[in-house]
Amino acid sequence: MTELSSSPLAWLHGSDAPEKTSLNIGFMALSDCAPLVVAATQGFAQPHGLTLNLRRQSSWAGLRDGLLSGELDAAHCLYGLSYAVHLGIGGVAATPMAVLMGLNHNGQGINLSPALQAQGVTNPEALQHHVHQSRSKLTFAQTFPTGTHAMWLYYWLASQGIHPLRDVDSVVVPPAQMLAHLRAGRIDGFCVGEPWSADAVNQGMGFTLATSQSIWPDHPEKVLGTTRAFVEQYPNSARALVATVLAASRFIEASQENRRATAQLLSAPDYLDTALASIEPRMLGDYEDGLGNRWHDPHGLSLHNAGKANVPYLSDGMWFMTQFRRWGLLREDPDYLGVARQVQQLALYRDAATGLGIDCPLEATRSSQLIDGTVWDGTDPRGYARGFHLHALSDA
Amino acid sequence: MLRILLIDDTEKKVGRLRVALVEAGFEVIEESGLTIDLPTRVETVRPDVILIDTESPGRDVMDQVVLVSRDLPRPIVMFTDEHDPGVMRQAIQAGVSAYIVEGIHARRLQPILDVAMARFESDQALKAQLQARDQQLAERKRIELAKGLLMKMKACDEEQAYTLMRRQAMSRQQKLIQVAEQIIAMSEMLG
Repeated sequence: MTELSSSPLAWLHGSDAPEKTSLNIGFMALSDCAPLVVAATQGFAQPHGLTLNLRRQSSWAGLRDGLLSGELDAAHCLYGLSYAVHLGIGGVAATPMAVLMGLNHNGQGINLSPALQAQGVTNPEALQHHVHQSRSKLTFAQTFPTGTHAMWLYYWLASQGIHPLRDVDSVVVPPAQMLAHLRAGRIDGFCVGEPWSADAVNQGMGFTLATSQSIWPDHPEKVLGTTRAFVEQYPNSARALVATVLAASRFIEASQENRRATAQLLSAPDYLDTALASIEPRMLGDYEDGLGNRWHDPHGLSLHNAGKANVPYLSDGMWFMTQFRRWGLLREDPDYLGVARQVQQLALYRDAATGLGIDCPLEATRSSQLIDGTVWDGTDPRGYARGFHLHALSDA
Repeated sequence: MLRILLIDDTEKKVGRLRVALVEAGFEVIEESGLTIDLPTRVETVRPDVILIDTESPGRDVMDQVVLVSRDLPRPIVMFTDEHDPGVMRQAIQAGVSAYIVEGIHARRLQPILDVAMARFESDQALKAQLQARDQQLAERKRIELAKGLLMKMKACDEEQAYTLMRRQAMSRQQKLIQVAEQIIAMSEMLG
């Protein structure tokens, strides 16, 4: 009994050891869940005093509910999911959320159906022409109403002169079900994370029209997300979790062999349950679009990039709010910087990164140029949100 | 409605608790005395709470409580006339969530049960965390052992040994601990 009662007390009080040692981690079957799967199964958690129990989810809405109910302690999250829940957009009451770190940059894709391909709609101009001439509206699928895929799809369509809310219809479909919906003819195209864009191409079901990195090279994508309540209640567990996942990310990108082994692990039934041929090439940056074009993408899926893919920059979080505003999901401007400061756990990330000897920039924002030529650096979110030719602002 | 397994272990078997519990609106399954096999009864009855009414809990009572706590953990509330703090400590150690001396009123039952159940839940959560922690430490030791063996076999450094083990595990869709166990088994076989 003394053994049992003294040890928890020692670890509950006055040490930096995790307050909660066994964590349930939600993930979706997508290539960018790799750091979580590798962290949980390859002995990265134990040295930080944690055990990670992986819990695969079948939809982003289900994953969100798991986080909110406390069934999941943290999860593979869409940037836009964390911010929508934090701001109370989309059917759930506002709950303070936390972005612990970025999980990846790049690695999502927009595909079109074999039927459109057969009609010669194989480039942006042809699509624009088709959308404006055809009497019936095309239907595009994304994975969550406020998610990154909806935002990439909207941003890309708008950059090609197609209004995503007026000129086409959009529906929500869970990532792994895109192909089935495409086969059934329910959708004409979709925006999704890998391996599902590559998988459709491999199965001869259409082609990849655009990659997400062509919209924004090194764009923010998935995050390690949790609720703010979790961070407040278990600050040491949160820091240990970031260190664990960061170490796993670094390991995956330490060599080409490690990346290949990661792709093999991911293809297992417990994780992506998909052919290695759909996972590995694009994880290594090797693209084939289904139209006969092959290339090596210098901005392919990036899980670490010496820490650059993991920093939870305030400007990354703010960007999603500017797009919510642009597309009318937010009726008023939020306090962009204030909200991003609450959600992005930059200090916690810096602590964990420094502990592992991973470079962490002093700046809290970064500057990027997007496909339409606009520059986003986080300095004027209100003006940026209003600066687009195509939008759904009610008051502009 | 809460399902209560009531064990009446008083000498006179007056059933002093039954009336109070029924009045308070609980579903009561009553057993007379602790000559029964408590774990088996708990398994069939599946109560939310176990109430033990005893004038003074003896060795046999404690043993049954220990068995239930180990195999079929449930909140256990003990009502007794025994004032001895030593006996109380024993009962709590055996797994009793609440120990109530004398004074049984219908009105006081609900709060007592609420506290006992809350206490039970937090104990269970702590136990699960401790178990996970023990397993974590055990796995870590096995992995370190395998890493050491591999360093010797391959004449490589720690970092390289970890990378080799991880790469092997990942390409075979296994966990690191599985590969560590294989290395240990192989090394035992080769002496």
